[in-house]
Amino acid sequence: MNHAAAAPAGSLGPELSGEAVRAHWRLAWLSTVDHKRIGILYLLFAFLFFVIGGLEALFIRLQLAVPNNTLVGPDTFNALFTMHGTTMIFLVAMPALFGLANYFVPLMIGARDMAFPRLNALSVWLIPLGAALLHFSIFTGMPKVGWFAYAPLSETPYNPELGVEYWILALIVLGIGSVATAVNLIATVLCLRAPGMTLRRVPLFVWINFVNSFIVVFALPVLNAGLVMLLLDRQFGTSFFLDREGGSAVLWQHIFWAFGHPEVYILALPAFAIVSEVVPVFSRKPIFGYEFVALSSVAIALLSFAVWAHHMFTIGLGRAADTFFVIASMLIAIPTGVKVLNWTATMFRGRIRLTVAMKYAIAFVIQFTLGGLSGVTHASAALDWQTKNSYYLVAHFHYVAVGGVVFAVLAGLEYWFPKISGRMLSERLGNWTFWLMTVGFNATFGIQHVLGFVGMPRRVYTYPDFTHWGWMNLVSTVGACLMAAAGLVLAYNLLRSLRRGTSAGDNPWQGWTLEWATSSPPPAHNFVALPPLRSRRPLWDSAHPEQPDPPVGPSGPLLIPDRGKTSVWTLIASEAAFFGTLLFAFIYLNLSPHSGREAAFSLDLKMTGIFSLFLFSSSFTLWRAEAAEARGHRAGTLGWLGLTIGPGVVFLAGQAMEYVLLYREGAVLQSKLFWSSFYLVTGFHGFHVFAGLIALLIVFGLIAGGRFAGRRSPLVAIGLYWHFVDIVWVFVLATVYFLPRFL
Amino acid sequence: MNLNRLLLEGWSANPWVLGGCSVFTLLFARAFGTRARWRWLIAALAVVVLALLSPLAALADGVLFSAHMTQHILLLLIAPGLLLLALPRAFTLRVAHPLARRLPLLGWAAGIGAMWFWHAPALCNAAAVSGPVRALQTLSLLALGTLFWWPILAPAERDRLLPGHGVAYLFTACLGCSALGMILTLTPVEICSVYQAPLAASQPWADFRGLFSAQHDRQIGGLLMWIPMCSVYVAAIMLELSRWHGAPAAAEELSS
Repeated sequence: MNHAAAAPAGSLGPELSGEAVRAHWRLAWLSTVDHKRIGILYLLFAFLFFVIGGLEALFIRLQLAVPNNTLVGPDTFNALFTMHGTTMIFLVAMPALFGLANYFVPLMIGARDMAFPRLNALSVWLIPLGAALLHFSIFTGMPKVGWFAYAPLSETPYNPELGVEYWILALIVLGIGSVATAVNLIATVLCLRAPGMTLRRVPLFVWINFVNSFIVVFALPVLNAGLVMLLLDRQFGTSFFLDREGGSAVLWQHIFWAFGHPEVYILALPAFAIVSEVVPVFSRKPIFGYEFVALSSVAIALLSFAVWAHHMFTIGLGRAADTFFVIASMLIAIPTGVKVLNWTATMFRGRIRLTVAMKYAIAFVIQFTLGGLSGVTHASAALDWQTKNSYYLVAHFHYVAVGGVVFAVLAGLEYWFPKISGRMLSERLGNWTFWLMTVGFNATFGIQHVLGFVGMPRRVYTYPDFTHWGWMNLVSTVGACLMAAAGLVLAYNLLRSLRRGTSAGDNPWQGWTLEWATSSPPPAHNFVALPPLRSRRPLWDSAHPEQPDPPVGPSGPLLIPDRGKTSVWTLIASEAAFFGTLLFAFIYLNLSPHSGREAAFSLDLKMTGIFSLFLFSSSFTLWRAEAAEARGHRAGTLGWLGLTIGPGVVFLAGQAMEYVLLYREGAVLQSKLFWSSFYLVTGFHGFHVFAGLIALLIVFGLIAGGRFAGRRSPLVAIGLYWHFVDIVWVFVLATVYFLPRFL
Repeated sequence: MNLNRLLLEGWSANPWVLGGCSVFTLLFARAFGTRARWRWLIAALAVVVLALLSPLAALADGVLFSAHMTQHILLLLIAPGLLLLALPRAFTLRVAHPLARRLPLLGWAAGIGAMWFWHAPALCNAAAVSGPVRALQTLSLLALGTLFWWPILAPAERDRLLPGHGVAYLFTACLGCSALGMILTLTPVEICSVYQAPLAASQPWADFRGLFSAQHDRQIGGLLMWIPMCSVYVAAIMLELSRWHGAPAAAEELSS
């Protein structure tokens, strides 16, 4: 905790002094909407939970250090690895990567702040909320279901304690925060670029984080949909993922991995982004094949959604499905391999400066390649059956997550800390951290490949004294202790540098991107003036006017989309993923033979049809309201808007009536899988209609109050959402009301 | 089940297909002459022949749903794309009508709609047993596929979508097809019962039914619609972006 308290005080820029300023400045951290402070908050939260998650890992390793150990019992062990996994992914890796993106994406595109600073503050403060929810489970019985929470283990009959509920709530909260961050990043990159910063000229860090934000937007809602279903199962007695009534535990795995595999890339792509900045700067060469890095990131993002079933080879999807996913999973190694070649080729014949940041980046490339290669072995279903439940898999994903992601974050931290704090980190201490970390990491996880091959299963709290198991586990534990020591040295280095590090100056590494064109730390407004932007290395061009980079693309005025509409479109994409998952679950659960068909016939299509007409008519009236506003006709706008809100209310009333009638007939949430999924889909749609109505009412009130006199209101942007909700209803009607009758 | 025999004797010489292809080639030659990019046209015709006259077509004829699905993808996704690439570089649709701006919406709906429409159980079965319905299906797949690819592969840049919009167009199309593919793969739904009905004694390749169990056959069909189809869209997205990045080699090849 004291890191958290000390770091902001130390990072105080030299230009600020005086106790009053200092006190105000500390308090201001709670209410800040400055992307740089929010970025630092993200990093501090990440560091705090890195300590907590790291201690959990340390206890896991200490328990496994020797055979038949009794340091922690089986239940505690299960809780430890559940909390460790969840913490490291949702409270460490994502906040750290979002933190760096938050701090540097606006700087790199020459913007003053993120597109929605207050939304940004909401995102960051959702992290402590989510963390508090997760850790509240300490008082209720911790979740012991793994970070994947496989059903039916995560269901009430097998885990009656409330820990799973808190785990679910925490992940929903964190998921919403992540989607908000992603929406914000997309809007920032599209709408706030400085003149001349075309999308083809943005640094790779910006481009890859931009692409990554789309994965977040599509993947996290899928998890949230699954989580609410699990919560309904646990709290309201439905059986989506329980075998009774035809629920399906496999469905949970599909939903979880449809999120979970893209999540791997949500962590990996920003790591690629960092390395793609660090490697060129310390090789004194522009990145080799910018376009290939940029495009392969898109390819990875797209393919990441099509390969999740390779996490499910062992559940018996059948040979046909396995074969396709083997091939698809191996395909994704191609764009990833392209990147490794790009980084290596950038280093090749470069004038490499072996700073600590560069060492982390080089270690990243090597370790990530190893993790990627063992990943390819897992993509082969036949091999996966043998190694899936062993320490070989643990070794694989830690090579990706620690050897890859953590090393990249450390590279980024070493690289950008001077910019964030204005002080240099000690290279000597940095080298200690690096070597402790690298040796420790490879000792911990390198040997686990072998442990896996000799048959040690994962998720076991202890093991008998088999030949070689004991010493290999001990090596692994010693490695973990070295990593912990690395963490201590790192913390000391950070604190020491904040107190008495040498001043960094604006551009200590002779970087080329815009964040180095301002002071360290940057002023609240980021830039006083920007250099001309013609290529991808504006600072190189300024420093070497005799030998500038060739200009990239045409230099016209930028195509800047409307900020409100961009954000609503992104939100709509995310909501579409949410409803898509719900509708897929509905189909999955109701298409099995004998389920839902006769239940569907007790739905009153005539009544629903009439109320649907109300909803659809509201899209028409909203369109008229927008047209009236475009003509500057306020009364007309208000009139048509009223005619939009009215039918919306009628639709909701109709749905309420339908629910009451169905409940009287005994069609309750728990009575049948059909009804569970019916209420799930229609209920969430109703909830979104309700949210849309609130938004429209606010706009109505603001327009009526003359808030937008002479300006366009956000009606069109919010209207997009309303139209979307109506379109979702078309799909709900088709899927829930009609489809079960025909199949 | 003799694979060699199938590969040798499974070819048919449907006069309608051969005639149609010939007439089309003649018309194409008359319209564009040497300005057309003939390599692409030959590729397109080869794909049509592969889909309609090859052993694949023989298996798609009521024997294997997965073969039917492959045929479907070739006709909807591959052949029309190649056809558009065969158009002369300067070719453009001179439509000033305001509705022309809506063409991408229509194209998108055509691409996704064709997939869902022809897999409604009644239509899927009808196309498998009735010649005229199948002819209609084939022609509509080719036409709708052309409409779908137009905003992406039109020779003139002004007929194409902006790269960003193109990416969204293709990505959402991928989702649209994946949804159906996922349902077919992961649920026991039956959309083409013809592929399980007993085959007529006259069907020479009936024993190839035994290649896969009914469930596997359906799954492979769904997976084809899901993974390879999406790979085509992903490849097209890469094309869009590489064009936008000022055309490294791949894009030069596809636009010259």
